[in-house]
Amino acid sequence: MQDQSIAIRLENVVQRFRVIHERPDTVRELFARFTKKRVSYHDFEAVGGVSFDVGKGEIVGLIGRNGSGKSTLLKIVAGVYRPTTGKVIVNGTLAPMIELGAGMHHELTGRENILLNGLLMGYSKEVMMSREEKIIEFADLGEFIDAPVKQYSSGMYMRLAFAVATEVDPDILVVDEILAVGDFNFQEKCLHRLRSFREAGKTILFVSHSMDQIETYCDRVILLEKGKLAVDGTPAEAIKAYLGETLLDEPVLVETPSPRS
Amino acid sequence: MIELFRDTFRYRELIWALALKELKLRYKRSILGFLWALLNPMLLCLVLTVVFSKLMQNPKWHFPVFLLSVLLPWTFFSQSLSYAAESIVGNGDLIKKVRVAKLVFPVAAVVSNMINLLLSLIPLVVIVAVMHHPFYWTWLYLPVPIAALTLLTLGATFFFAALNVYYRDVAHILQIILQVWFYLTPIIYSLDDIHIPDRYRILFKLNPVVYALNGFRLSVYNGQLPTARSIAASFACAFLALFLGFSVFRRHQHDFVFYV
Repeated sequence: MQDQSIAIRLENVVQRFRVIHERPDTVRELFARFTKKRVSYHDFEAVGGVSFDVGKGEIVGLIGRNGSGKSTLLKIVAGVYRPTTGKVIVNGTLAPMIELGAGMHHELTGRENILLNGLLMGYSKEVMMSREEKIIEFADLGEFIDAPVKQYSSGMYMRLAFAVATEVDPDILVVDEILAVGDFNFQEKCLHRLRSFREAGKTILFVSHSMDQIETYCDRVILLEKGKLAVDGTPAEAIKAYLGETLLDEPVLVETPSPRS
Repeated sequence: MIELFRDTFRYRELIWALALKELKLRYKRSILGFLWALLNPMLLCLVLTVVFSKLMQNPKWHFPVFLLSVLLPWTFFSQSLSYAAESIVGNGDLIKKVRVAKLVFPVAAVVSNMINLLLSLIPLVVIVAVMHHPFYWTWLYLPVPIAALTLLTLGATFFFAALNVYYRDVAHILQIILQVWFYLTPIIYSLDDIHIPDRYRILFKLNPVVYALNGFRLSVYNGQLPTARSIAASFACAFLALFLGFSVFRRHQHDFVFYV
């Protein structure tokens, strides 16, 4: 990458899913395909030609209604999906928090999971060993660290997952709606950590339905509509457009939180 | 191919951790734990020995050694395949949420079974000692067939792991294939003892595992080395399988996430 001030660059990214109505999951259905007519399917464009840059040290929020392509876009940035067309450039190490505890294995102990998770994220054993103490400290698990994760309460589980994902000191953090879970204490702890990430000049791309969080933490907000970029601007602009759109489309509004005045 | 070796080296720590995890889960909560890795081949050997050596008219000399010398590597081959076929689908949740090189899963399955194979050499040594079967110096040759068999196994696992993502029947069909394959491979018998009509000989010639397994039996049971031709054939099969299997896997690995 030539431009070192850019952390993430998306160039005309398209993600198309083939939705096969009756996917031949088994060989029987495969044979049925020959005898019957063609399989019917339609292509669904979850993300349709999105381009934007995220600068180093920027905190960018992604908002949009369900199905607008936010999570798909995060997965593309995190490298889980390879986009159908378009280009993704990521500069620096990236910690994905698409779902807390994705790499956790219930039968393994907390300590074993720290190592396995770190390795899955691409860190070396040496790095993970050197950070183990700090992770255990943040997760605040006490003696449970050597018990299998299946015996954890959901709070302990999340604390451990969050600690592993953030204690490894990534350059870029990709967060999908995870701050909606956990109790008040945990959320506070997470938000505090995000704040210190911001102070350390790290890049964060995060999806949230909480307009409060978006407004408080983001430098810039991108509004997605049906897989396309609708607004790319200040939090106020994007939130206004989002709420305006939602209000028009859904007169009876229950869930969408309103921005603080 | 180079990519395969490079990535295997690059992710060696992850592969090792996954392999250990698999072993740990296999033996967790069992009182004997790892001992099962040693007991299993012994018990299977006992059953087969009773069935075959007692019922056969001319039982083989030291039948348990004759049998185990090939049964152990065969178990490695068939177990690796069974595990690896499920390895991508079984880790679907992970693949959908974390960016991870897909090849680590089948490779880890093979590594964990390799550890099992090496452990199961201990009961083999015990049986050889107890039966007063000679310890031939050709034991030293064992790393060669182990290498050939491992490469062959890797190739097959890549193929079945990829195929199983698209058609889940593969894991089931594989079990039947392995059953048939077991009897078509000289494990409980040897090719010299049975009369095979010429037109069926080709069946054994085309069986890719025969060459590597042959090296195991010759060095442990007969105290001989395989011919250069047989060794060459074992590696030719291994690299061909690896090339074909990995090509299929590589071509489709980025699509796995949409199907798991």
